[in-house]
Amino acid sequence: MANLSIYIVTLLLFPILIASFSPENPTDRRILVLLDDLSLRSSHSIFFNSLQSRGFHLDFKLADDPTLSLQRYGQYSYDALILFSPSAERFGGSLDLAAILDFADSGHDVIVAADENASDLIRNIAAECGVDFDEDSSAVVIDHISYAVSETEGDHTLIASDDFIKSDVILGSAKIEAPVLFKGIGHSLNPANSLVLKVLSGSSSAYSANPKLKLSNPPALTGSYISLVSIVQARNNARILISGSLDLFSDKLFRSSVQKAGSSTRYGKSGNEQFVTELSKWVFHERGHLKAVNVKHNKVGQSEEPAMYRINDELEYSVEIYEWSGTSWEPYVANDVQLQFYMMSPYVLKTMSTDLKGLYHVSIKVPDVYGVFQFKIEYQRLGYTSLSLSKQIPVRPFRHNEYERFITTAFPYYGASFSTMAGFFIFSIVYLYNK
Amino acid sequence: MGKSSATSKDAQALFHSLRSAYAATPTNLKIIDLYVIFAVATALIQVVYVGLVGSFPFNSFLSGVLSCVGTAVLAVCLRIQVNKENKEFKDLPPERAFADFVLCNLVLHLVIMNFLG
Repeated sequence: MANLSIYIVTLLLFPILIASFSPENPTDRRILVLLDDLSLRSSHSIFFNSLQSRGFHLDFKLADDPTLSLQRYGQYSYDALILFSPSAERFGGSLDLAAILDFADSGHDVIVAADENASDLIRNIAAECGVDFDEDSSAVVIDHISYAVSETEGDHTLIASDDFIKSDVILGSAKIEAPVLFKGIGHSLNPANSLVLKVLSGSSSAYSANPKLKLSNPPALTGSYISLVSIVQARNNARILISGSLDLFSDKLFRSSVQKAGSSTRYGKSGNEQFVTELSKWVFHERGHLKAVNVKHNKVGQSEEPAMYRINDELEYSVEIYEWSGTSWEPYVANDVQLQFYMMSPYVLKTMSTDLKGLYHVSIKVPDVYGVFQFKIEYQRLGYTSLSLSKQIPVRPFRHNEYERFITTAFPYYGASFSTMAGFFIFSIVYLYNK
Repeated sequence: MGKSSATSKDAQALFHSLRSAYAATPTNLKIIDLYVIFAVATALIQVVYVGLVGSFPFNSFLSGVLSCVGTAVLAVCLRIQVNKENKEFKDLPPERAFADFVLCNLVLHLVIMNFLG
């Protein structure tokens, strides 16, 4: 009986198990959502519904749920994690900072949202990703120039920002017209971390301070140095989104109208929904995920792949690169994919030509140097997963019988050699018979 | 004027004495000398040629020149060994010296042919 129930459960789980993240289908499927309290489920319902309508399976849990666990028997049960629990001092169950970092280190995606009550735990997670929230726990981002106009004068902590990162692959090709409303804490990027990027930055008049107190010292974070929303794409292509505002994702700001101070245009709806939806598509690998297949190389005029090339050979190299569109693999078109023929340093570096159907092709001449080379493609572009291909190939010198023979220039030397030989013959005869 | 005519007279006298001394040289040594002159001349022609056209098939150039130089060196060695006035080699029969010369030449030309290509 117990066996039968396990069997049935396995059968029921099977579609979920096979639909999870795989190289063939890079979009995440199962997402764990950790909340401070379950009312967030309704106050942020538009965001969650948009995820569910795109086919994600959301698992809502309280951050202090004692049964929390990301993996089971060494296998991750989730493909991505949404942390909407800014005030959680510690998570329930086996989840902690190290577990979340391991989760990202194994290639999974994370969305972290903080607010003015951000706990040390959330700050530490962000710090591990190269994002440093303002150390003053009472500080929020204030902007007296580009705030969102409202009926009451307020303290200008609701910011209308439109300083987006310029990248179609991260924010989608449609332009975000309305400013994005932001209410929360600012952060700066760790300059030592080259993988973290500002997606939404503060305007030059923004600063981070406690709005209730009179400003006595210059604020630590000012101007466009402040990042409001940042992303990280790790070297294993795990994507992490860090926002200083949980309200950014809320229904209230999704639906609210926005007018930026100093501007006469009033938008009926803020840019939040478009911004957050497009960004979540990027984070969950519905966009900007590349794969390279069918790497081929051969000598010009031949079709089979040789085990070795000779110096000065002409060769052809081709690779197919596709981009994941969320549902299928589409040809990736770019004019900046370069092939390196590499031994300690690139001996040949050549841009590949594309047939616009995903096939990239280049023909190169093997340099006049022998040794163990590599065909290398290192393709890293903003917003795209990095492609790093390398294939080892030895290059041999000419064989002894492959050198050019009977060179016209060398005829005098041949003549000299043979004439000394003939001279030796004649000399021997003359010398022996001259008595 | 007087000094230069005296110098040229001295040179002539020197040349004459050299020629008369050389006329006394045995014929077989004269043949060897002729052979050495031929080899050195061929080597010089090649050196001039490489100066004109550049050193592209360098291995061919080396083998051409070294075949001439080697031939000349071996011929000089033969000349030392068969010279009757050379007391050092009085125990060595000239036939043996010539056999050594032939063997060395064979080895030399084998190497040259290998390197010429």
